[in-house]
Amino acid sequence: MSTNDQFRELIEAYAIGSLDASERAAFEAHLAGGCDDCVKALEEARWTVSQLAYLAPNAEPSDMLKGRLMQTVRAEAASGAKSESPVRKTAVPWWLWAGVAALLIFSVLSARNEQRLRQAVADLQHQAQVQQAERERLEAELGEAKTQAHEAMIWSDPNSVKIMLRPKDPKMPQLEAMWHPELGLCVRGWKVPSPGDKRMLQLWLIPKAGGKPMPSMTFWPDATGTFTAMVENPPQAMSETQALAITEEPAGGSAQPTSTPMWVGRVS
Amino acid sequence: MEHLLRRDVGAFEELYERHSRIVYSLVLRILRQGATAEEVVQDVFLQLWRNSAHYDVSRPFLPWLLTLARNRALDQLRLKGERQRRREEQTEEFPQIASAAPEYEQALDEKRRAERVRTLIGSLPSAQKKAIELAYFEGLSHSEIAASLKEPLGTVKSWIRNGLLRLKEGLQAIS
Repeated sequence: MSTNDQFRELIEAYAIGSLDASERAAFEAHLAGGCDDCVKALEEARWTVSQLAYLAPNAEPSDMLKGRLMQTVRAEAASGAKSESPVRKTAVPWWLWAGVAALLIFSVLSARNEQRLRQAVADLQHQAQVQQAERERLEAELGEAKTQAHEAMIWSDPNSVKIMLRPKDPKMPQLEAMWHPELGLCVRGWKVPSPGDKRMLQLWLIPKAGGKPMPSMTFWPDATGTFTAMVENPPQAMSETQALAITEEPAGGSAQPTSTPMWVGRVS
Repeated sequence: MEHLLRRDVGAFEELYERHSRIVYSLVLRILRQGATAEEVVQDVFLQLWRNSAHYDVSRPFLPWLLTLARNRALDQLRLKGERQRRREEQTEEFPQIASAAPEYEQALDEKRRAERVRTLIGSLPSAQKKAIELAYFEGLSHSEIAASLKEPLGTVKSWIRNGLLRLKEGLQAIS
């Protein structure tokens, strides 16, 4: 098997992102070496991988999402906001721009300098993009940390009420929930089997008054059967809730339960 | 897309109407929580709106958008599941995707292509299908998939490669 053949066998895995670190590094070095055949094959493999999105069960985003999005977009369009976010504008230190300006002065002296200028600008843009990406990553991490801190408060606060959700099927694991009257409601479980194809789990709040179950969050366990889900503003107060229930529903959730509860827990 | 480059709100709304469902379905499948999935979808479309000038209009749009959404969702998943592990791949603000769609992309409308993809992957042995799903929707590596499925590493590599080649050939065959 030639070296090229060896790398060709890695193309699909690289496109889907499943190569382990050492193989990925070797393949990227091969690409950087200028193998046009692999570059072309990789482009096509990436397209094929993108088609796997159609395996996802069909689900409909809420109208509220579109409302929020269009409100932001219209506001930015009206204010003449630039394409680049404010973060990108401020992400580059002033001295870097000063360096580019100085380079500009010298570049007019010769055609050679012009090429150097182009490279400097490209490097600068790349640096700005990297900083922007890092900023967004940190913001996402901060948001996640806040969510985890919020969940930790719910689980540890003495005013929270613990609710055990017992399975209808004795072979299934027991789940637990913690409800704080102001901070919200968390549910978690382990070794929970994955719902069927195009199905997901949905939490319901059963009112004391005997009305219809109130729909709440939807979620899936991960590959190991673990899940943690939190809703900050449950659709009704704890004092008005008789029990929590979890059913299996079509992807995207339901307005009313379409199956028998798999877990139920009384709210004391 | 050209209209979007000119900051046309109507064009953006049309793109959202046309593609938000598949983008949301993909992100929800990866993250499993409706509220978090909507946050990610909102980020993806806002990034599209704010940074549309960086998009190369000669590239096929929807595969590019799906790749962007998948990357964002997997980043979110990794932050949640394993915060200490940093994504080692280079961050792709705007992901690379084929510079031109394969000829067979034009042969199928989106609905038919979706059905074809489901049929082709659905016809694979269940363990092979699971391996591909773990790679695509969970972002797992070969080693992680092999450990999860308790299968030899070489088998997992073959499953993923052959499955994707079969998908490619299956889509080509009906062009």
